[in-house]
Amino acid sequence: MSVSAGAASPSLPINSPKTRKQRTLWGDAWVQFRRNRLAMFGLLLLLLIILAVLLGPYIYRVDPKSINIVEASSPPSSAHPFGTDDLGRDMLARCLYGGRISLAVGFVAMLIAMVVGTTIGLLAGYLPRLDNLLMRFTDMMLTLPQVPLLLVAMSLFRDPLRMRFGLEMGAFVMVVTIIGILGWMPTARMVRGSVLSLKRKEFVEAAVNVGARNGSIMTRHILPNVFGIITVAATLEVATAILTESTLSFLGVGFPPDVPTWGSLLYYGRNYMTQFPWMVLFPGLLISLTILAINFMGDGLRDALDPRQRQ
Amino acid sequence: MLAIPVLLGILFITFILNRLIPGDPCRAMLGEKATDEVCDAFFKRYGLDQPPVIQFGYYLGRVVTGDLGDSMRFGRPVTDMLMERLPVTIELALLSLLVATVVGVILGVIAAYWQNSPIDVFTMIFANLGVSIPVFVLGLLSAYLFAVVLKETPIALPPSGRLTAGVRVEPIAVVWGQETLAGPLRGFLDFLSQMYVINGALTLNWKLFSDAARHLVLPVLVLSTIPMSVIARMTRSSLLEVMTLDYMRTARAKGLNERSVVFRHAMRNALLPVVTVVGLSLGGLLSGAVLTETIFGLTGVGRTMFDAISSRDYGVIQGFTLVIAFTYVVVNLLVDISYAVLDPRIRLG
Repeated sequence: MSVSAGAASPSLPINSPKTRKQRTLWGDAWVQFRRNRLAMFGLLLLLLIILAVLLGPYIYRVDPKSINIVEASSPPSSAHPFGTDDLGRDMLARCLYGGRISLAVGFVAMLIAMVVGTTIGLLAGYLPRLDNLLMRFTDMMLTLPQVPLLLVAMSLFRDPLRMRFGLEMGAFVMVVTIIGILGWMPTARMVRGSVLSLKRKEFVEAAVNVGARNGSIMTRHILPNVFGIITVAATLEVATAILTESTLSFLGVGFPPDVPTWGSLLYYGRNYMTQFPWMVLFPGLLISLTILAINFMGDGLRDALDPRQRQ
Repeated sequence: MLAIPVLLGILFITFILNRLIPGDPCRAMLGEKATDEVCDAFFKRYGLDQPPVIQFGYYLGRVVTGDLGDSMRFGRPVTDMLMERLPVTIELALLSLLVATVVGVILGVIAAYWQNSPIDVFTMIFANLGVSIPVFVLGLLSAYLFAVVLKETPIALPPSGRLTAGVRVEPIAVVWGQETLAGPLRGFLDFLSQMYVINGALTLNWKLFSDAARHLVLPVLVLSTIPMSVIARMTRSSLLEVMTLDYMRTARAKGLNERSVVFRHAMRNALLPVVTVVGLSLGGLLSGAVLTETIFGLTGVGRTMFDAISSRDYGVIQGFTLVIAFTYVVVNLLVDISYAVLDPRIRLG
């Protein structure tokens, strides 16, 4: 196979620069990504959900917190597309409002996880002295069972943060921070692996030889090259963070039930599930669809940004 | 060799975290009205009046001798609670892992074998759905479906508990007429007795076996979905990668039929990464067990941990965390060893 390709290559159009437009790494990745139907489906679905929760409350003007006992527990209808809960609060409004919080948690927690993970991965990969220490620490964090650890951490920080930032904001800060600092390990490992191979490349050697300092080699030369990997990890981390938030709220230790997030809506609704299943169905469906969309996107991005997987 | 420092680290972290949880364990246990004298006695009894370093030292010493302390809330040894509740989770987790591995590998092989066919696309969409639906959503919806919607049909399944009221459980040792047996063997048999499916099978108690199994269907289904999807995807991509290697062409060229090419030549190499994934799934299973046990009302390790954290039952939190971490470390060690067995190129050094 390789022999025939080598023989034919002089006549291939790739070798004549005039016939092929130059592409950047990201432009190339976008072309690859667009060809992946599932990934595009995920992207569109995610955009739709984001648009819905951002703009939805301006179009669907029903107060998510207004109680209306007369219409309590009514099944989905044209007046209430997702039905109402046991206090007559509109489920669609609550889902849209809750989606804002759930998605915000996902993105902010992802940012924290990416900053921590990238820093640790870069340091461990580039500085051999720190490698063993940091990676053993990472292994240990990965070994700890997540949910029990989250539960302990939540009960630890809940009260001081609530006093500082108020009920809703305090819960947000706490949930985001804890998810972020418990979610950086896969990123750190991926970044480290990539840095280990990058630092043997000629361009790094060249940078060392012209006298660049470690700090600037890491940030200017190596970091841009691991950005593809970080993007993939970031996408998947958003899904994990949204999932973790809903898990925590579902166990009753995340957001309090009067702050609607997809998870706390489920926590609140599960006691009524046998009579009013729509209280569980719609928030559950929204979480699942969001995570599905992000996972499809993440897979597409991985295929697009990781040249080894190209066919 | 790394296992011991990791375990020590985990012990240390849980110990510190426990002591940092705000609130007074005495009043959490004995109620708001407990007097100071009562609380002093309580602290003395559980060694909480000592400096933390000394508490930790004592704790380490006891752990080494197999004493995990007492539950403050229930006033009984943590080891007793483990003997009673660990089997529930082990039964659930092992069955889930078994289902996940068998079904996951089969789905992965089917998908890889007929790559890009409708069956492949369908399997992969199913696998993507599997990792995207949160455990608790799937749990709640399947409980609703099988216990409420299908209530009067033959495929209705119980949504909670381990047994129907009226089904009796006897310790295996008693059924086998070994009441006088004592020591570790008896302990082991009692441990097994708590796994009702195994108990039912060993004592030929069909009623117990079928009832316990019926109660386990939904929890196992829910808990196995995520690892099943991960394993299916891993098997598929790993098998596809192996299929492009040169020795596969050799195997076909020498006239082997397709079945032995896939099963004898490709599978052996393709299953290596799958073994890792199976081992790593255990951590997720443990986290999933907290949720699954909450939804389906099972008193296993996960549920006990959750309750212990809410009520600040230090002894239980530490003891259970230690056992969970220990299991995890041992499983990872076993995965490493199985690597060497499966792949002669890797030697344990």
